[in-house]
Amino acid sequence: MDKAILKLTVFFIFLFITSLSVGRLLFPPWHANALDRTIITYVRLPRVAAASLTGAALGLAGVALQNIFRNYLAGPGILGVTSGSAFGAVLAILLLPPNPAAVQLTAFVFGLMAMLLAYYLARLAGGGILALILAGIVTSALFSACVGMVKYMADPYNKLPAMVYWLLGSFAGTKWSDLAPAVPPLLIGVVTLLLLRWVLNVLSLGDDEAVALGVNVGLFRALTIVAATLATSASTSLAGMIAWVGVVSPHIARLLVGYDNRRLVPASALVGATLLLFCDDLARTLSAAELPLSVMTNFVGAPILFAILVRRRACLAGS
Amino acid sequence: MLEVKDLWFRYGAPANKGYVLRGVSLRVDCCVACLLGPNGAGKTTLMKCVVGILKPERGCVMLEGQSITDMDCRSRARLVSYVPQEFTVKFPYTAFEVVLMGRNPYVNTLQGPRAEDEAKAREALKALGVEHLAEKPFTSLSGGEKRLILIARALAQDAKLLVLDEPTSFLDYRNKIVALETLRRVSRRFSKPALISLHDPNLALLFCDEVFLMKDGEIVAKGKPEEVVTRNNIRRVYGIKVRELRVNGCKLIAPENALFGAT
Repeated sequence: MDKAILKLTVFFIFLFITSLSVGRLLFPPWHANALDRTIITYVRLPRVAAASLTGAALGLAGVALQNIFRNYLAGPGILGVTSGSAFGAVLAILLLPPNPAAVQLTAFVFGLMAMLLAYYLARLAGGGILALILAGIVTSALFSACVGMVKYMADPYNKLPAMVYWLLGSFAGTKWSDLAPAVPPLLIGVVTLLLLRWVLNVLSLGDDEAVALGVNVGLFRALTIVAATLATSASTSLAGMIAWVGVVSPHIARLLVGYDNRRLVPASALVGATLLLFCDDLARTLSAAELPLSVMTNFVGAPILFAILVRRRACLAGS
Repeated sequence: MLEVKDLWFRYGAPANKGYVLRGVSLRVDCCVACLLGPNGAGKTTLMKCVVGILKPERGCVMLEGQSITDMDCRSRARLVSYVPQEFTVKFPYTAFEVVLMGRNPYVNTLQGPRAEDEAKAREALKALGVEHLAEKPFTSLSGGEKRLILIARALAQDAKLLVLDEPTSFLDYRNKIVALETLRRVSRRFSKPALISLHDPNLALLFCDEVFLMKDGEIVAKGKPEEVVTRNNIRRVYGIKVRELRVNGCKLIAPENALFGAT
């Protein structure tokens, strides 16, 4: 195994174990009494597992989409999937009685619908990468407008705060029963993207190159997009909107292992999992009241991306 | 090896009535064959049809007696490798990683390349004398080095036919000569026919074994370079007057305006 990936794995495992012991009650997991064990099993473990899986899924979706769109700033939201999920969630909050499972399901389904809509619009516009990016922008704008409309119509005392809370993202109160429905699509997405890591290298060269090198571009691009959408929709349905992790994780991973997707894809998953776990730890320990997750990922992600840009500029100046 | 029969192609069919290729037929067997012609003659389009990137409206492309439309893309990539005119790598892969991608037609997509594929990629770098560039980012290489790495990738692809679209574009005079000499050496040493496109008729005279002269989507002359690159053909295709010269038995051409001043 690559040394950098091994170090990342060790660091992630360390953070995973540490995350189980931090919170309102602070205890080392190996000295846990009966109450502590209950807290770990039913409160912290599902939450830490959800944060790790979601972070890995977003990191993978980000790196896969950056490769097929050949764009460093592409992220899981590029095809309107997160906006679609957001609309599904706020719609469920508006129309249905309070039920987290229903919100999760509609968020997932609308995320998939957004991707299908973007794909259909791209075909109408003649196909190709540029058409897909533009169709993603259109889809994203459409669902964002729908989210705005639903928020405008929502009851400002009950429904609106629930929507805002969901849109800011959180793992607070995540139970094993919340994880169960999200895990199968999330794992299908994650495993597929890990298996496609070599072909992502060839796809990142552009359509003509990939065809000349013997890749069925239409098939593998569609597979990658479907896998990334499954991972993103399932993540968003579990945790709400989470900014930056999908965009920043591949950049951090590139600094550690380079650009070859055979190493970059697993590294990006590990960085995504570690980063989101770290942000969630901060969100639940920094203040007495839990902070929204997206606020933390923004605070952590934005400076990291800026630092990477400065470092890259310094490297270019030095070369 | 390569046979193109009555190829017709137009972009944006059926709305667009203008054909870019109009009944092109050619055959390449064992040599460096060159497509020569002015901008917009259809050279790049023809090459993209040959490697399967574009699908012709009529006619067919046969590789080793098999139509490329009947092949899946992996089988096709094992028969023909392609080096495009412009190569913009978005991510700074190392030169070795770029060459290794040439092994894709032989690689299990889900497992990635094996040790023997990596050995083939290193062999290809060595054959072109650029193994010292292996670990450098492709984006940091000079135009000439990039071109050599791409030829190495085409070699690592181990295809029967090499197709190179303007292998001398963006290169200085020395690197043009190096690229074409290397190509001719590789084509002869590995018995791989190559189809290339060029803009300079003198380079075609010096480095190619066969020339196809194109204009407006048609092949207007074909044969040995000395038979095709003639005063009349150049005037007919490019619309300029040239004088034929002989240097040490080699035929070259020079524009009359440059030799004798504008008349």
